[in-house]
Amino acid sequence: MKLQQKLVLLTTLSKALMAVVLLLALPWIVETLALGHTDASLRAEQQQVMRRIGEIGIASFLTEPNPNQKVHYDLLQDEFIDLRRASTPLPDTVATLPRQQHGTLVDFRVLRHTFQLQGQWYVVEIGKSIASVEDVYSLLRSLAAYALLFAVLTTLLIELGVINYLLRPVDQIVERLRAVQGPMPAPLPPLQTTTSDFQYLDATIRRMLQKIRRVFEQEREFIANASHELLTPVSILQNRFENMLQAEILPEEAEQQIVTSQRTLHRLTATLRTLLMISRIENEQYARNDKADLGAVLQEVVDELEDRIADEQLTVEWALEGRPHLAAANTSLLFTFFYNLLSNAVKYNHTGGRIQIGGQQPAGQPYRLQVRNTGRVIPAEHLPHLFERFRRASNVHTAEGYGLGLALVRTIAQFHGFRLQVESTEQEGTTFTVWLPTAELAA
Amino acid sequence: MNVLIVEDDNALAQELALYLQHERYHCDFARTGAEASEKLYVNEYDFVLLDLGLPDQDGLHLLAEARQEHNSQASIIILSARGSVDDRVSGLQLGADDYLPKPYSLMELATRMQAITRRKHGLTQETLSFGHFVINLSERTLRHGGTEVVLTRREFDLLHYLLLHRGRVLTRMQLSEHIWGNMISDRDDHDSNFIDVHVKNIRKKLSAFDTHEWVETVRGIGYRFKPTQEV
Repeated sequence: MKLQQKLVLLTTLSKALMAVVLLLALPWIVETLALGHTDASLRAEQQQVMRRIGEIGIASFLTEPNPNQKVHYDLLQDEFIDLRRASTPLPDTVATLPRQQHGTLVDFRVLRHTFQLQGQWYVVEIGKSIASVEDVYSLLRSLAAYALLFAVLTTLLIELGVINYLLRPVDQIVERLRAVQGPMPAPLPPLQTTTSDFQYLDATIRRMLQKIRRVFEQEREFIANASHELLTPVSILQNRFENMLQAEILPEEAEQQIVTSQRTLHRLTATLRTLLMISRIENEQYARNDKADLGAVLQEVVDELEDRIADEQLTVEWALEGRPHLAAANTSLLFTFFYNLLSNAVKYNHTGGRIQIGGQQPAGQPYRLQVRNTGRVIPAEHLPHLFERFRRASNVHTAEGYGLGLALVRTIAQFHGFRLQVESTEQEGTTFTVWLPTAELAA
Repeated sequence: MNVLIVEDDNALAQELALYLQHERYHCDFARTGAEASEKLYVNEYDFVLLDLGLPDQDGLHLLAEARQEHNSQASIIILSARGSVDDRVSGLQLGADDYLPKPYSLMELATRMQAITRRKHGLTQETLSFGHFVINLSERTLRHGGTEVVLTRREFDLLHYLLLHRGRVLTRMQLSEHIWGNMISDRDDHDSNFIDVHVKNIRKKLSAFDTHEWVETVRGIGYRFKPTQEV
């Protein structure tokens, strides 16, 4: 998940959580506030009643026909004041209590106050109907809820906008990195941002890309120079040997020595060419512009090797499922790849043996190509080193080689994103397995 | 025929000239691009053998210049040790007639020069014959009388090459350079030993029609195509 998406998700979730908690707590808060307010107004009324009693005396309230109690309701019967004599003092309370009103019980918020006047205890109760309080509640509640939603949505929108703006350089950096194909990217202009972290990140990435580019260019130059410096003297020698053989006046012995030298030089040339080729592939000097049908390439290689196969009386067995192909490949490298694998399968086989070329498409997995030969077993301890340069299980095989063929195979495999594996058993022979890259299957 | 050898390495240029003079070419030398440019302007050449790694400029520039400015009709063969992957393609696109990566066999170079000359003068032969055998080059077939002698691709190439150089000894190296020259792989003695196998098979196939030993072994050196006295 992208950083921006994560931040947006986080902000949205935290805002939603806040809104839910506040909306759930709102009735309780409003009720507490409203009750506090009601209680305060009841106390104020109590003060007023007490002042009134002090001014005009208790007697004017408690008159005939009810000398012990005076109950007064206001016009809408939302409020009442109840004053009566009491035998014992009761504690002062504020509570919600039911009261009889026109035959039904109605909840009132009631303040009770006991006081003593001329040796007589009196109780005054001031009540306010809860219904009247609740009107205020609901008004308050909806006001608060709207305000809350408004606040949450506005801050959310602002934050999303700010996140989007602040993180735009990250998207740009990621986009630029995605666009980098191969080790020779074109130089990029600096990123437009005022955030110093991003400036630093951008500068570092650009510096690193340039460095990689420089190293690759230097390597390319080195390869070209090495190629020229190594192959020119070899050319001189090879041409001189050819000229010497041309002379026709040489004693037979000298001729044979020249031919032997030519052979040695030929070995050197083959080694140099292969080494240089490995370097060039690693230096990304080959294009991946071809769509390759692997079956066709394999067929071409088998045709190329037909004489050797016939000479060793080998049988080639084909078992290719489907049409394995690559969308971005280098056909001439692929040819070299399979040529080396198959010429190995010929070289290390026994006369009359078999070469199996198989391929399967396991569901949901990369295509698997296999080249199997019925040659002698390669000891398990040699297998991990088989693809290394100049390593060869020399004590096992009778045929000569210079230990670069399989190193070249590995380099071409890496170039195309193949995975390679080799197994060797008494029953199965030696099997080279090539897993094609999965991305190609969708193509 | 006149050949301009554009090569900065003196020893290499001398070896090249020695072989070509033996083949009756007249050789001229240029060690730098500037020198070559001047000589191309003044003289007419049938061939320019062009090294790409010149001290003063890229050989590809010289190639483009020769084709465009001097309107040179010379056949240009690139001989390069640089071996960059694009060189071959750009060289041929710029109008080079052929490309040989160094080190190459002089015999291979001479053979290609002959082929270019024949092509240029419309002398390309469709068929070559020896005894009662006829090689058809466009069909790539070998016939004896009316019967086709089935050869593999490599056997055909080898026989053709031997026939082109009839009477001369070809070493296994020269033969394998011709057959597998462009193929970069883990080439080794196995390849050159395989020349023997091919020759053995060719002989077997020819001997079914004819008792003459066409391909002669020159002990320790290689093979020679031995023509019969004309019948």
